[in-house]
Amino acid sequence: MEAVANKQLVSIEKPEIAAPPDWEPVIIGILCNWCSYAGSDLTGTSRIQYPPNIRIIRVPCSSRVDPWFLIKSLQTTADGVLVSGCHPGDCHYISGNYYARRRFLVTKKLLNFVGFHEDRIQFSWVSAAEGPKFAQVVAKVTGDIKKLGPLHLYKKENFEK
Amino acid sequence: MDYTNQIREIATRLFTEDKIDVFVGYRMTGFDDNQVPALIRDPKEVSQLVFTDKSVFNLTNYLKNEHTRNKRVGLVVKGCDSRSLNLLLTESQVKRDKLYVIGIACEGVIDEAGNKMQNCMECVVPDAVVYDEMVGTPKGKQGYQVNADIHELASKELVERRAYFEEIFENCIRCNACRHSCPMCYCAKCCIDQETSTLYNGANTKSSAFHALMTWSLHLAGRCVDCRNCEKACPSHLPLHLLHKWNERVIFENFQEHLAGVQEGDRGAFYKYSMQDPNDFIM
Repeated sequence: MEAVANKQLVSIEKPEIAAPPDWEPVIIGILCNWCSYAGSDLTGTSRIQYPPNIRIIRVPCSSRVDPWFLIKSLQTTADGVLVSGCHPGDCHYISGNYYARRRFLVTKKLLNFVGFHEDRIQFSWVSAAEGPKFAQVVAKVTGDIKKLGPLHLYKKENFEK
Repeated sequence: MDYTNQIREIATRLFTEDKIDVFVGYRMTGFDDNQVPALIRDPKEVSQLVFTDKSVFNLTNYLKNEHTRNKRVGLVVKGCDSRSLNLLLTESQVKRDKLYVIGIACEGVIDEAGNKMQNCMECVVPDAVVYDEMVGTPKGKQGYQVNADIHELASKELVERRAYFEEIFENCIRCNACRHSCPMCYCAKCCIDQETSTLYNGANTKSSAFHALMTWSLHLAGRCVDCRNCEKACPSHLPLHLLHKWNERVIFENFQEHLAGVQEGDRGAFYKYSMQDPNDFIM
């Protein structure tokens, strides 16, 4: 680990861009109201620790997640996005997550095609009873994105305006 | 492929039988050997109509035009155009009983340099799927093959792909000609047009071009029929087909070989689901 820590971290998509020494990733977590948000609540009430890099947004259902949310998150602030919903078959609205699953696959593949590492956009199914799983998922996503380095997606250009 | 005489005959017949108010076809530009879309309202102008290898544009785009809306329209469609017509019918944008569709059994069209267009070489549905009258001999459905550009680009490294697409986004001038020429983009108010909103700024920057093109291609995922009107309209000559063809490939491979507009009543890949959809990418 020390060898890795000594080497300066660079963005995997743009190796010429290095991370500042105190860099911490920003991850947007979009959670469905009925399962994953309740799951994250359980994680908190169970006093399970998970990385504080995630910023949570609550949505009614995972099919509420427009692919555009992911694009906008990556374009403005986030280094990675996590979308989480109910397990297949458990959707509060019966079939919302099946529709969402199709969109997620196409969005993930398209963003990977135009030059994002596939770990920048991650998805998970977390039920309301899976507090420990939510902590594991957040830890995994944060760890993955820390390895990838900062996502320097035209952000400088954004801030200059 | 030269169906000029047949098209003229049919158009004359339709006007004399009073079946249509306006005929949408192709005519010569008048200054070179390329063609432009023609809206014919007068039976005397039927002699302007042509149909050859140079009839490249997708005419279903002209169905959302004020000259054709709520009128009885005669329309020429090739294989790809008929697929977008199929989608427009399914999405209730066009009324079938007001249309008289002349389907072409297409043999492929050529670009300005005289080469056969790439999408025609990889065409899956060369014959029109929606028609009242068929011109030419149908060839039947062809096998699906992955686009050559996609194949080449997908095998490249992530860093190379990133640099390639960043150049594309840099060269985009946000004129929205692609959106305007697309038959499947018919929203009266488009989300990428809202300049006052902070969501999509209308500024001509790499950032906003990335945002607009990504959103646009995801709105067309599972609905794009690869007619390449967008690419012909693009003043910066961007290879916009890459985004659409990639989505088409992902959808074809993962969602039960779905192809936009081939079956009647099929609304697109995102309007249905299956229990067999891939789940292994989700934790």
